[in-house]
Parts: sequence; structure tokens; C-alpha cells
Amino acid sequence: MRAKSKGFASNYRIALVAAAILVSLAGIGARLVSLHVLQRAKFLSYIEKARDEIVVQNARRGDILDVHGSLLATSRSLVVLGVDPSAMVREDEAKWPALARLLGQPLAGLQEKFAEKNRPSAGVHGENDGNAREIDSADDEHEVHWIKLNDSVDESTYDQIKALNIRGVYGSRIYSRDYPQNQLAAHVIGYVNKEGDPVTGLERYLDFYLRGENGWLESERDGLRHELAQFRSREVAPSDGYGTVLSIDTVVQHMVEEELQKIADKYHPLKATIIVSDPRTGFLLALGNWPTFNVNDYNKASLDAQRNIAVADMMEPGSTFKIVAASAALNEGLVSPASRFDCTLESVEYKGTLRRLPREDESDHFDAPLTVAEIVAKSSNKGAAQLGMLLGEQRFYDYARAFGFGKLTGFPVGGEIPGEMAPPSKWDGLTITRMPMGQSVGVTPMQIHCAMGVIASGGVLMRPQVVKQIRDTDGQVIYQFAPAVRRRVISERTAQTMARILTGVASAEGNAIEAQIPGFEVAGKTGTAQKVINGHYSDHHHIASFVGFFPASNPQVAITVIVDDADAGTPGGTAYGHIVAAPVFKRLGEQLIQYLNIQPPVASEGSQFAMEGGLR
Amino acid sequence: MIKSSNHAFVNQMLVGALVMICFSGSLGFSTVWMRRAISLKADRNRQLEAKLAEINRHIDETTAAIAAEQSPGALVRRNAEWRLGLVPPREPQVVRVPDDVEQRLMAKNHAELYAASDGPVVTPVVFNLGGRR
Repeated sequence: MRAKSKGFASNYRIALVAAAILVSLAGIGARLVSLHVLQRAKFLSYIEKARDEIVVQNARRGDILDVHGSLLATSRSLVVLGVDPSAMVREDEAKWPALARLLGQPLAGLQEKFAEKNRPSAGVHGENDGNAREIDSADDEHEVHWIKLNDSVDESTYDQIKALNIRGVYGSRIYSRDYPQNQLAAHVIGYVNKEGDPVTGLERYLDFYLRGENGWLESERDGLRHELAQFRSREVAPSDGYGTVLSIDTVVQHMVEEELQKIADKYHPLKATIIVSDPRTGFLLALGNWPTFNVNDYNKASLDAQRNIAVADMMEPGSTFKIVAASAALNEGLVSPASRFDCTLESVEYKGTLRRLPREDESDHFDAPLTVAEIVAKSSNKGAAQLGMLLGEQRFYDYARAFGFGKLTGFPVGGEIPGEMAPPSKWDGLTITRMPMGQSVGVTPMQIHCAMGVIASGGVLMRPQVVKQIRDTDGQVIYQFAPAVRRRVISERTAQTMARILTGVASAEGNAIEAQIPGFEVAGKTGTAQKVINGHYSDHHHIASFVGFFPASNPQVAITVIVDDADAGTPGGTAYGHIVAAPVFKRLGEQLIQYLNIQPPVASEGSQFAMEGGLR
Repeated sequence: MIKSSNHAFVNQMLVGALVMICFSGSLGFSTVWMRRAISLKADRNRQLEAKLAEINRHIDETTAAIAAEQSPGALVRRNAEWRLGLVPPREPQVVRVPDDVEQRLMAKNHAELYAASDGPVVTPVVFNLGGRR
């Protein structure tokens, strides 16, 4: 009988296989228990540390645009380039000169950095002269894996550096703020520092809109520290910052800054400021200060140069303040433009006592009584004082406050100050004769500009604004800033009367024919304020100003020019407003007429326009 | 192979086990292949994202460079460097037009017609050379 075949499954083989499988399974089971139960926490923390990563995705800061969409501030990525000296290889040495050339650094300096393989550990006493280090012992050193070569390499240069393929040289990207227009509107825009914090200007004021929200994602890395994108678990996309559109016009701003530079070159003043706005809306077209600074090099600018003089500096306004007394007296119906005042008097009785009237300027002597219109046009101090006394302390004070003096204008940037204007209870006997001519009061250039804006806008005080729109990343407008009326100060009729009176200033009968633009009705007021030096009004240091608008019957642009301590080179050393500031007003006005296509109030008769190539 | 004995049952079980191993192996292989495909796709997506970000970075850089070149200061500098002699128009070079522009153009283009009739009369064009009048 043939023995039955058991095939593969002989008894001992089955036992052997079964035993082997059991032992294997037991071994695997034991190891699994060890890994997943006994040592779970240890390995899990190690793996999480080694593999898991949270990557922050930086939001791009929004752009700041001018009224026509020109970039004033933008964000672009820069590369912080560094080197791991320990990873460098000798074969790459031939490429170092090319790297030095791309970085614009001397080769010797780079070689020194590349040679720094070790560095003394913290707490080791060694001499450190910036480059050479004396090490106590090799044990107190640690290997250097990162030395910064340059913190602002642009993308194109980084592409060329990558093409060199130097081992150990690599970079990390950061968003950097770039101001393509350099110093243009520096005091309005402000800047973001190297840490990404907004420091001044609109960069700080609008930070809520501009900064955006960083995103993040949870992912894992492999042994070479490369991201394993398939293990991305949670991902929150970054939300880029909103863009903002300003009312500032770069072309007008450039005109203003060119004029400021001309003032600086010709008169060597301490400081100067020019403000240009649309008086009907209160939106600024330009605001420039001198001295100024390049926002891309903010760290090289002095704090003085960074100060926004237009809102942060206080001064006595001088004769520009006479618009308050004249407007108030007209608005109250106390006088008409034709009412006459004797401007030869030395003193006037007021509330039972004789009050000395202020002196007129050296060049002014008025034999005949002056009308209110002439008091303004010829800038009579005695006349302004009498208008103030006619109003009385409280009423004059109330009007001055209504015009915006002694209060913040609401201009959002530059650290605005309210100026100084004491209430009548703190006035001495002479204040009512001095304040109407612009003494005993501290104002900012912006306040003077807004006060003139009251007359230009038909009697209302507008809030000076510079931001027009907030736009999302697709360019859709999400918020539009509208003109903001703060209050009505004088009636529309009074404003029109005052505008007509102020046209007399820039006329042959007025004291600032230098501001006259033929064919356009210029309304304005000069100011020549003596500076207080060591507690006394100086005869040699003045603040020259001209504040005005045109066309007077349909105001489209208001300009304020203020120059502090100009060296006018006049015989008496007085930097009169009509000599220093009024010509600047005229030059700016003439440029703005062309650029903004401002039409004269009455079209000149006859003929077609033509220009020939702009030749001069 | 004997199928009727106990040993045959074991043989069948072993064959079954082999089949199961093959099946689960192919399942595992499919899973690995699928994961690999997911990994490649994810990596490709990541690369595309990086490429997109790089393009955006270059766009930002170029936009900033263009803005800098178009700034009024740069244009004035170029005007001087290249001796273009461009200047803004000045008021003396401009003669304001009181007429209706359409009427004017119509009259200009059909001068003969209007000459014979009582058509609109337009003031003559005055060219001011070099801003002088």
C-alpha cells in the first residue's frame, strides 16, 4: 500500500511554520506594544518635533496710491542672504568674486565671513572686534551655520546668485516696504521700519487696513527638511492688506516740493511748508515741508526733518489772522466793506480805558481813513485792532475758535497739535488790540489753511482729509471718504464778500501784487509775523506767509505758503510775506492752472488756443 | 494534491492564505501607489504655488521699478539727461476758447460751405511761438 502523501503539510513542517509565525507575530506584537504603548509619548514628541511644522504665510501689506493710481508705497519681497560656512566647499571658491560683485561688497569681507566656521559660545570671554575673535579653547566654540551677507537682495539679483550655485549660500524672503517716489509726500505717507512696524504717517494711521492678516498651514517635513505637501492638514490662506487711495496728486506734490527747494536755495529758511487743497471738499492735493527726507532712507534722516511742520509746529500767524476779525465783523453786520476806520490813531478808548493801537509796518502809513476792504487789502494793524474791539473779546474769541484756531483740525497724520489760544478771561488789556493782527495766538499752518478754506468754501469749515478710498485686493472700493463739514462759521454771503475783499490783496491797490495771476481772480492774504526771540519780538526774524485761493468767484484750489526765518535780503532784513511767499503762490498757481485745467472766471475774448511745442 | 483529508484542508488554507497575501499585497501596493501619486500631485501643487508666488514677487518688483521710473523726479531728471527740453505749458501760451468745440470743428472742416452762407463765424487760430504774444 502506497503511503498517503501529506503534501506540504507534514506534521513537523506545520508545527515549524506555525511556530515561526507565532514567534514572529509575538515579536512584532511585543515591538508594537513597546512602540505604541510603552514609548508612545517619547517617540510621538520626537516625530512631532522632527516632522510637524507650522508655516506662517505672510500677508502682503497693501499699496498706497495717489489720486491717479500712482504708487506711493508698495510691498515687495526682498531676500535676506546668508551663508552656512560649514557647508561651503572649496570648488566654489572661483565663484566668490562673482558673488561679491552681485552683492556690491568687497571680496575680502566675504572671504572673512566664509572663513568663520566657529564662534565662541555665550559666556566665553574673548575679544571681539567685529571680525577677529580670540577663543579661550576649542571646547568653548560652536559651529556657525548662519552669517548674514545682505538683508535686502532683490529678486533679480537673487536669481543670479542662485544661478551661481554656491553651496551654503541661501536666502530667506521677507516683505519689504518700498517707496518708489522717494521723498515725495514723505511727511504724509510716513514709513514702516525694518521690523515691519508702521512708525509714522499714513502707514501708521491706516495700518488697520494696510497690514492684512497672516495665514498659516500645518504640514510635515521629511528628513531633508523639505515639506511633505501631501500631509498639509490645516491651511488658512493669508489675507492681503487693503490698498488705499489718497487725494494727494504726485504731480502737484512734485510742484510743491520743487518750490520748497527753490525757497530753501534762495532764502535759506529754518523751515517752510506748503499746503495745496481743494477748498470745496477739504481734500489735500499736496502737503510739503522743508526740510524733508527720503522715506527709503528714513534711518538717515534727523527727527527735525521727519517732523510734519504743517501740523506739528506752532507759530504766530501774523496778518493772515486778520481774516477772522474782518469776517466776524461783516458776518455780525457790524460793518460793511465800505465802513471806514481811522488808521492813524495811536490809541482808542475801549471799555472805559485807552488802549494803545499797534504800529503799522514800516512801509505803511495811512493818511486817510481806510475802508474794511482796504484794511484787509493793505493789511492795516490799527484797522484790524479796531475791528477786534468792535466785536469785543468774547465774540472775537468765539469766531476765532469757530474758524478752527485753538483746536485740532482733525488731520490724521503728523502728530497734530491744537495750537494755543487763551480764553478772554486770561487776556491782558492789549490782547484785544494784538490778537486781531495775529499776535498773542499760536496756530499751525494747517489751521491757517483751513481758516482761509472757510471763506473759499462759502462759509463752512471743512475737515482736511487726505484719504479718499479704501480698496480690497481686487481693486474694488470698500470705503469711500466723503467731504466732511465740521461747522458753518460765516454765512455764504459773508464768505463771498470776504472773497471779493481778499482779491484786493493781490492787486495794484493791495500789498501783494506779486501773487496776482493775470486773468484769474486771486484772493489771499499775506502775513509777516515777527518771531519771538528771547521773549521779545525780533525785527530781523520773521515768518512770511501767503494764504489764498482762486478763482475767487469759483474757488478750485487753495494754497498756503509759509516760510520761517527766511533770509530775504531786504534792506531792513524783514522777510515780508509778499516778497518771500506770494511769488511762490503765483508760480504754483500758474502751474496748477495748466495741470488742473482751471478755467478763468470770465473767458478771455476771441480766438482759438494754440501752443507751440512748449518752447521758451 | 489531496483534497479530502485534514492535510488537504491545511493545503487549501495555505493556498487561501497565499491568495489573501497576494490580494492584500496588491491592495497595499495600490495604496502605496495612490499615496505616491497624491504626494507627487501635492508636491507639484506646492511647486506651482511657489512659482506663482515667485511670479507675483517679480511683478511687485517690476511694478515698483516702473513707478520709480515714472515718478515726477525721475522724469525731470531724464528730461535733463536726454536734453529733451520738455516744459509744461504756461498761461501766456494758451488762448482760451469761448466757442463750442463741435461747432468750431464743423466750421473748420466745411469752411467753403459756411463761407457761402451765414454759418457760424469762428475767431481765427492764433499760434503763439515760444509763449510770447
